[in-house]
Amino acid sequence: MKALYKKELMQLLNSPVGYSVPIVFALFLGYLFIKDVFIIGSASLKPFFSIAPWLLFVLVPALSMRSISEEKRANTIEVLLTLPLSEGTIVLAKLLSLFTLIAITLGLTLSVPLVLGLISSLYVPEIIIGYGGLLLLSLLYLSFSLYISARVSNQIASFAISVIILFLVTTLSSDFLANILPKSVQDILILGSPLLHLDNFVKGVVDFRSLSYFILLIVIFFKFTVTELQKRI
Amino acid sequence: MIELLRVFKRFGMKGAVLDISFKAQQGEIIGFVGPNGAGKTTTMRLITGFLKPTEGKIKIDNKNPITDRLSILSHLGYLPENNPLPGDMTVKEYLSFISNVKKEDKIEKIIEELRIDEVYEKKIEQLSRGYKQRVGLAAALCGKPDILLLDEPTSGLDPIEQDVIKDLIKKLAKKRIVIFSTHILSEIEDVATRLLIINRGSLLFDGTKPKGKGSVEALFKKLIKKS
Repeated sequence: MKALYKKELMQLLNSPVGYSVPIVFALFLGYLFIKDVFIIGSASLKPFFSIAPWLLFVLVPALSMRSISEEKRANTIEVLLTLPLSEGTIVLAKLLSLFTLIAITLGLTLSVPLVLGLISSLYVPEIIIGYGGLLLLSLLYLSFSLYISARVSNQIASFAISVIILFLVTTLSSDFLANILPKSVQDILILGSPLLHLDNFVKGVVDFRSLSYFILLIVIFFKFTVTELQKRI
Repeated sequence: MIELLRVFKRFGMKGAVLDISFKAQQGEIIGFVGPNGAGKTTTMRLITGFLKPTEGKIKIDNKNPITDRLSILSHLGYLPENNPLPGDMTVKEYLSFISNVKKEDKIEKIIEELRIDEVYEKKIEQLSRGYKQRVGLAAALCGKPDILLLDEPTSGLDPIEQDVIKDLIKKLAKKRIVIFSTHILSEIEDVATRLLIINRGSLLFDGTKPKGKGSVEALFKKLIKKS
């Protein structure tokens, strides 16, 4: 597992997508924050935490689209599946290597609270929990995108499908549609909304239900991906 | 020991392997020949557990390649068809990954034997076909496998490189089962101890290779014409 994790991470860091996308993501978030501070005059982490999930549903599929679909296209999946590695180990190593890259990316955005700390007082535990929420959300998006990557042999199709589904899930459960959909439908969608559960973390609250929600869905999509690899035609 | 008992593999309506049975023992070098699309690669993939048979039984040391996958793969070396390799990795990175997974601590010996030390630091995508084939072979040899399945191991190699691989196969077979597929019938005469001829998914011949120059080719042509 360690060897595969190392190989996957190395391949990610050596690929143009692996190093350019996280930098662009961090710079863009930093720009949005600086814009708020110097143009609008608002020094708060709230805009950062509300924009980050919308960028993550593009960033995560962009990083994970190659992961399994490219192995299938190039047939290196045959090499991987004929090594003494269980399908669970393969998926876990891929998931963890991608998660490491996301964590590095989010780590790059720590400049935002650091700058904020210089100009105003910050409540550090709230920031840590907020970042913890973003990491959980990333892991959920990763787990889902990896499953799509396992289902599709074309990396562009894998990216498009993941983005569209994550966009729909995020949009349908946001305030944006609150006035359009009937209240009963909206209530159900909000219950399953990743943004609602992230919101608890952003407020600095470790809500057991939100934590369970993320863990449950991460495990479900992880299991789906393992099952997909276990399929022998 | 490898044992295939009345194995069928169908992809939808198309039968790729039809009623194949054979046994292979340690020390045997089996040359697996047949025209393109005859079922050689499918048979190898069935033995590795990469594909599941539609009917029939496959046993490797009395274990099932699907249910006992990890146990079997830990002592099986496989060079797949077209030798898929990650081009963005260097030979060193790739082989150290494979040797870590297969718990091989003497990778240097394999590198030396296959003469890939001069391209060790190069990216796989920059290598010639011959060197890529050697890297694939080195990966298959990692972990001292008891069973070696080589799908067209000399494909794309020049005659000198082919000789290196053939000598290596002969050397390796002493304590192993080696099954290699090929289009080059003279390789069978040079290397194999036993011959399997397959066409349209069915096994046409299973036996000791005929002696004499050109005899394998004559037998092959005769059987393919008949089938």
